[in-house]
Amino acid sequence: MGTFVEQRLNLKRKVLVVDDELINRKLLSQIIGRDYEVLLAENGRKALRIIREHQETLSLILLDLLMPEMDGYELLEIIHNDLELSRIPVIVLTAEKSAEVKSLQMGAADFIPKPYDAPEVILARIGRTIELFDSNTIISATEFDSVTKLFNREFFMEYAYLHDQYYPDFEMDAYVLDINRFHLLNEMYGRAFGNDVLCHVAARLKELVKERHGVACRDSADVFFFYLPHTETPDEVYQYIEYSIRDLWQDARSHIRLGIYPKVDRSLDMNRRFDCALLACNSIRHNFTSHIAFYDAEMHEKEAFGERLISEMDTALQEKQFLVYYQPKFDITGDEPVLASAEALIRWQHPSLGMISPGQFIPLFEENGLINKLDRYVWYEAAAQIRKWRDKYGVTVPVSVNVSRIDICEPDFVYEIKRIVKDNGLRPQDYYLEVTESAYTENSDQIIEVVNELREYGFRIEMDDFGTGYSSLNMLTDLPIDVLKLDMKFVRNMHTNEKDYRIVQLIMDIAEFLDVTVVAEGVEFEEQYKLLKEADCDVIQGFYFSKPVPPEELEKFIVKED
Amino acid sequence: MLTIDKLNELGANTAEGLQRCLNDEGFYLGLVPSALEKARYEELDQRIKAKDLDGAFETAHALKGILANLSLTPLFDVVNEITELLRSKTDTDYSGLVDKMWEQWNKFAALL
Repeated sequence: MGTFVEQRLNLKRKVLVVDDELINRKLLSQIIGRDYEVLLAENGRKALRIIREHQETLSLILLDLLMPEMDGYELLEIIHNDLELSRIPVIVLTAEKSAEVKSLQMGAADFIPKPYDAPEVILARIGRTIELFDSNTIISATEFDSVTKLFNREFFMEYAYLHDQYYPDFEMDAYVLDINRFHLLNEMYGRAFGNDVLCHVAARLKELVKERHGVACRDSADVFFFYLPHTETPDEVYQYIEYSIRDLWQDARSHIRLGIYPKVDRSLDMNRRFDCALLACNSIRHNFTSHIAFYDAEMHEKEAFGERLISEMDTALQEKQFLVYYQPKFDITGDEPVLASAEALIRWQHPSLGMISPGQFIPLFEENGLINKLDRYVWYEAAAQIRKWRDKYGVTVPVSVNVSRIDICEPDFVYEIKRIVKDNGLRPQDYYLEVTESAYTENSDQIIEVVNELREYGFRIEMDDFGTGYSSLNMLTDLPIDVLKLDMKFVRNMHTNEKDYRIVQLIMDIAEFLDVTVVAEGVEFEEQYKLLKEADCDVIQGFYFSKPVPPEELEKFIVKED
Repeated sequence: MLTIDKLNELGANTAEGLQRCLNDEGFYLGLVPSALEKARYEELDQRIKAKDLDGAFETAHALKGILANLSLTPLFDVVNEITELLRSKTDTDYSGLVDKMWEQWNKFAALL
């Protein structure tokens, strides 16, 4: 790229003249010296030294063929076979017709006959050659990914499009290849190893597309795209690529996964086709048993539905289509269950789709970061509701809200939570924050720091979904929490499955040891309620008492308590 | 005294040679003595006599190139003829051609 920079900066280009005859060197210097900075060498060996010294900035070599020590042919061969040096164009100086052909075959860009042409002709040939190589260098630099030497995305899309033009009748498959746990490979074994893996995959892909007449590129980090004529046996494609890297990462517990959009719809834009394959590929990101996924009609519908929900979220927030429901939690430590608090849960009352389950939109919004906006909406609504109930009934019903890992990582999170509570005239202890167990295990240091700050301020912290996030027992003792929320999957079968009941008892013991309250979620039946009471569970939440209800309906419990 | 006119009188195509030097007479005339360096012609002569045809070819070929670039035509013509015979490794009597070469060389060298 040196020559390109020189062109841009309008610098004088460097040209090396290699000729054993002093007169010829002087003559050429005279001819080109006004336009170029001229370097001189009287034989191939000296020339090679100068070339290596100036390889970044040398624009052209004018090379005589018959010289002592190292002749022009030998030097030409060295240049041609060196990846770095071969970007420097060579013009051969010769009086022989046969030498012209031979040198062109050996990689010379052009020749200048002896005796020399008129200076204008020489200058024109030099200028044209440099310009041509500049363009090539720029195209090469932008056309290929620097690590794998595969096409980059832009050029790939262009070539895939051209492939379609040349083979209009071929049915084509769009593939996206991703390497699972690639960031871990980089972290554990270093970037050089990571790059080695990428290069192995790329080398295999090059062979594959050559064999099957396709095109391949590296899209980003560890994501590759390739476009192949349709095959009914994509497993073979998988094996073909995987085979090349199996030995490389035998200890690394990595694997590749393929997303395939088979028999692409040619009416779709090329980028769109690979979006579909990528969607398929991402659908098995967390699936360690499936390594190949296909984009199909069901995925298409799900994607279209997801897109619709994403695009309508802002309007839904403005039009208050999102409703905050409350599920009461009852204290069961006394003779009679007593309303202790409630959990705020989001619902989407869509004007045309009806009630949309949170399971359909929350994972979607979590994936693209929109969840933060929605969570904040819920936080505000819940705080305002606590205030409303207090104003109406004179009692405070604490409400817990969900706080995701993404929320906690927001720089203004603590400020925002404090502001919401303050704006509604609440005390921090009236407002509970539910943080999932998995959030603690994924980014524990930052989470613990933030949660500690909130806890010291007076907020009550509930660990949600306890039992699903693989906390180690010794880690639990250090976590800043006030409540363990026992995941509903333990509660679900505890009245029919002895093992589940024993686990619940075990968790109760842990909670007692940690001196924290236990809330059991998903309690539906009286037997579950009784068993939990027997096991000294403090609080229960579930359909046994009430499903999540609009705020007005929760009021009947408040009135009852009153 | 080496001048353009005197070179022309000897048959050199100085217009062409000068063109290669961007019509810089001083520069052109400065190169001519190097092209007439006696040792190189003697080297050619001796290599031919010693039947070192490859070595002779190298020397002749180099001389031919510079004489062509400076367009010292009469001397170039004879060196060119020798070069082509040597290229094809023709085992012939070169003495006539070598004499002719010296004859031309003497004419040009007399100007120095």
